[in-house]
Amino acid sequence: MPTANPRWKLALDVERCIGCHACSVACKVENNVPLARFRTKVYYWEHGKFPDVKRNFLPTLCMQCEDAPCLKACPNDAIERFSDGIVRIDPDRCDHAAKCESACPYAAIGCDDNDIADKCDFCSHRLDAGMEPACVETCPAEVFHFGDANDPQSPYSLFMKKHGKETAVLKPEENTKPSVSYRGHAKEMEKKIPKGKLHDPFSYEIETWTSLESQFPKPKRVIWAKVVDAKPSTPTGGKS
Amino acid sequence: MNRVDPKTVRPEQSEGSDHASNASANRHPQRERKFLKLRASGESSTTPQSPSRRTAMKQGISALATLALGETIMLIPGEAAAAPQECRTTRKELIGQRAEKRRISGDGRRKNDYKKAKIIKGVCLNCSTVCGIQGYVIDGKLVKVGGNPEDPNNGKSLCAKGQSGPTINTNAERILFPLKRVGARGEGKWKRITWDEAYTDIATRIRKAMDEGKPEEVAIQIGRSRIPEEMTRFLNAIGSPSLFNHRALCSSNKRAANYACFGDTDWETGDFANSKYILNFGSNFYEAHQGAIHVAKRIIRGRFDNGAKLVTVDVRCSNTAGRSDDWLCANPGSEGALALAMCNAIIMAGKHDAKWLDTWSNVNAAQMKVWIAKYTPEWGEGVTGIAAATIRRIALDFAAAAPAAIAFTNRGSAAHYNGFNNDRAVILLNAVVGSIGAVGGYCYGEEPTRVPGRVFPNPLPTPPSPKAKSAIEDPVEWPLANKWQRMKVGQIVYSGLKEGRGKVQVYISYTVATPMTWPEGRSLTVGVLKDEKLVPFHACSDVVYSEQAHYADLILPDASYMERWGLDTRNNMELRDYVTLRQPMIPPPGECVSFVDSMIEIGKRISPETAKYFAFKDHEEWMKIRCAGLTPRVGEDGFEYMKKHGVWQDMTKPKYYALYSWELTAAQMKGARVDEKTGDIFRANAAGKEAKIGLMVDGKARRGFATPSRKFSVYHEDIEAAAKDRKFDEDGGKGMPEYFPVPSIAKMKSEHLHLVSFKWNVHTQGRTQSQKFLTEIVHHNPMWINAKTAADRGLKTGDLVEITTYRPHGHAMGPGAGEVLGTALIPVWVTEGIHPRVLAVSNTLGNLFAGRAATATNGPRQDIPAWSDSVIAEDQDVRDDIWWDTRNGGTGAGFNINAILPIQPAPLVGMQGWYDTVCSIRKV
Repeated sequence: MPTANPRWKLALDVERCIGCHACSVACKVENNVPLARFRTKVYYWEHGKFPDVKRNFLPTLCMQCEDAPCLKACPNDAIERFSDGIVRIDPDRCDHAAKCESACPYAAIGCDDNDIADKCDFCSHRLDAGMEPACVETCPAEVFHFGDANDPQSPYSLFMKKHGKETAVLKPEENTKPSVSYRGHAKEMEKKIPKGKLHDPFSYEIETWTSLESQFPKPKRVIWAKVVDAKPSTPTGGKS
Repeated sequence: MNRVDPKTVRPEQSEGSDHASNASANRHPQRERKFLKLRASGESSTTPQSPSRRTAMKQGISALATLALGETIMLIPGEAAAAPQECRTTRKELIGQRAEKRRISGDGRRKNDYKKAKIIKGVCLNCSTVCGIQGYVIDGKLVKVGGNPEDPNNGKSLCAKGQSGPTINTNAERILFPLKRVGARGEGKWKRITWDEAYTDIATRIRKAMDEGKPEEVAIQIGRSRIPEEMTRFLNAIGSPSLFNHRALCSSNKRAANYACFGDTDWETGDFANSKYILNFGSNFYEAHQGAIHVAKRIIRGRFDNGAKLVTVDVRCSNTAGRSDDWLCANPGSEGALALAMCNAIIMAGKHDAKWLDTWSNVNAAQMKVWIAKYTPEWGEGVTGIAAATIRRIALDFAAAAPAAIAFTNRGSAAHYNGFNNDRAVILLNAVVGSIGAVGGYCYGEEPTRVPGRVFPNPLPTPPSPKAKSAIEDPVEWPLANKWQRMKVGQIVYSGLKEGRGKVQVYISYTVATPMTWPEGRSLTVGVLKDEKLVPFHACSDVVYSEQAHYADLILPDASYMERWGLDTRNNMELRDYVTLRQPMIPPPGECVSFVDSMIEIGKRISPETAKYFAFKDHEEWMKIRCAGLTPRVGEDGFEYMKKHGVWQDMTKPKYYALYSWELTAAQMKGARVDEKTGDIFRANAAGKEAKIGLMVDGKARRGFATPSRKFSVYHEDIEAAAKDRKFDEDGGKGMPEYFPVPSIAKMKSEHLHLVSFKWNVHTQGRTQSQKFLTEIVHHNPMWINAKTAADRGLKTGDLVEITTYRPHGHAMGPGAGEVLGTALIPVWVTEGIHPRVLAVSNTLGNLFAGRAATATNGPRQDIPAWSDSVIAEDQDVRDDIWWDTRNGGTGAGFNINAILPIQPAPLVGMQGWYDTVCSIRKV
């Protein structure tokens, strides 16, 4: 049970992650996140030379920073950090300045000309109903350890008690004091998370798995040859 | 022209017109024909009729006001209905309306108020893994599903596909009305009809086949239907054996191997969470596998909470292989050789469990040592390409962890010409180290599919098994296909029809897209489905307009798995019997009807003889009758119990550890005879014939294995007999799990490569591509090629190759071995994560229909009256935001490779050799 004054925190045990995208899809359905927009996203990184090839995954979401750059950047005070540790957007105050998106080092907040600012709030509406965030609940690999940091029996506190020393925040050089920490992630993968821009949907494409780029504007994209006619030919009698 | 999605456009490409016109000029002709074009053609001769009373009552009359009965429409990809920019003219207007709901479906800013939610239990069916789910229904809408915490297999977890479930129900391109073909088959011209017309048409045709004494000419083609008992009752009532399934395309070699080795069931239940060593031959349980999440969850616990090692054998670096402690990239088709070489290493080092083998195996430790001698690790290195030292290291580590050690398989080892023996050899590894049935070992339970019939009995009378035979359903060339269960040889259905092996008068398809997913799908399958002489009548039950529906004469709009009933089960990782219940969380929209309800209606109409087997109102009442069987076990109304919990688990028996050593009960021993010399226990069965029912071990009567010897069958006489009967004289027919080469692979020339397929973690065969959140993640499937192989051929990522495939060599294969089957053009993705001689293309993508997400066609829903905003609203996501549309600079909808994968059933069992295809490539 959360305490009367909960402090919501999350630790991800990424070594367990299987890259299944369940967290992302759960989030999209739960929060009706449009296509090409994100509150959570899982990155892939394939590396090594055959046959010593490894794949790493990195689920990302809003870090609920204690020193949140988005909050400081917003000219309308539409972003607020609550006493429970969650950084939330007031949709009525957002007038679409998009400064928040430019300020975020974690690609976690999006604000474009077709939308108001939007980001993960640990599924606050689910917390209100006594439920876990959608990503936490569904994770088949038990990567997400979420809970009230003030409750020593919360999954978060229990995990941190056991593994806290092995955890780190992403991009510590940004000094934003994230409430989300990671255990066992590949440090290189932090480069894949855009700074000052929401996640690029093109980072889903398979050709980006081996890259540590964060953005895929057209010049950086693979030019795929066009298949003029994919229709299979009719069987012929030619010998191999 | 400004076609570029504002959210994917980058500053350097804001010259959108140039970009868009380039894309359009180079587009694939099939992509050129854009949206599902649905237009009233005015060609109908049928007078519009009133909607049926039943539906009008169910949905309200407004739901039907869109497409008038009898109105003719086109359901084929037509030319672009409108330029994408038109649908974005409201974009700017949204600014300043931020407090309003952004999405035109009205739920963009929705915050689910879970205090108002009604929780309804159910079962997922976005793949066949059978995860328990619970739906949250708020104001009559299913807003979210989660795992059913009471489900012993998945608990509160679901994968991405499971989470995507609710989007199926509200798919803006769902079929909402029964449709009848009016143009040529495959032309895509339809008119709306009533359910009564559809049912009467089907029932009349079935009756005709029965009256002609040809009930076997009524066939149902299924994919993952998960309603086996309902299907069987329907066909048995007709007297037809022709249930054409997909098991041979999926898993029949693996299942046959489990039956041959231990007999009780066809699927192991590894005790992964308690394991110390997990040796995985060709399963990709982090992404696919039957029971993926159930297995993955426990393997992760085994690895990270119990210190287990994970070693994966695969030709491709799947997510599973890429996250394993070791990835062994063995040569394709050599998995059995690798397992035998490991057995050899263990036995020669004396690390095997001789006592277990001497007690429980029909080949004892001394005999095993003689037989295995030829399969040395050095021999294994030559066949597999894995160093002998590595084979020894892993084999001995595996043995050291035993009995908390599991070696198991899936399609990577099984979908080969020699897959049956590959899998038997892998199972043998467990026997050699004595981990069969052990804590942390290779466990199994009693056959789960018999549990629903036993605990939830079907209403009487039940129809008898059919007397009629079908040479398509039971082909003589593959005598083990139907030996242990009716697995059949699904890939020969269309060649069988074409060659006159059998006929169909009525062909009904359900939860399947054979043009996409069958080998030679868009070639042979489509050719047969289009041919009205071969398939005179085809009714297709589907949720969206699929490639299967496109070649039908009638389309029956189905309910989704969140809108229908059904009992389901599978192996339970907690090693207990269990059964789950699907129930509607919401009613089906428009005129959609669950296919079982349709079968009941048809069954009632065929004749009084068939009607008597369907003497219940609907599937719900059928379920209610069956669930009454549970009442005495749970001490409350069984139906209410199942609706409340969604699952029942039998806690009266101990967990299925070491099932073979369970003692026979006094009841089982009644009238039994013990052969004092051998310790074998016999008892007369109902027919008066004596059968072996167990073994005396340690002075106790024990059940043993469900094999002829009641022992673990390394050798199996039935396999040897079947091989002799079919004149299959390769080493695979000797009765022992010998390694024998794949003939097509053995004959490969140096310029040839292997072509394999695979499944993504966010997709299931051909039926998930219509779901926007899944297809957003994976929509493009270029061909994987090894970096060195690509460099040798001057290929880089994005280059186009022409791939040519060849027909297979081997026992009972069709004619034309080594001849060209077909060619296709496909771009390549260069990776270190694949065997140098293997190419891989996913089996999922390249849909021609199934809506805008599936076909990567951004833009408005067709401006025709087939959709109804009052039933399912237009979806702004698929209207505005399909960023993978090539016109937005995207990569498109992918490629379907199955058209050029040859039909190649493995000897005796008949499983498709998905991974035996030989090909050559040429840079274009």
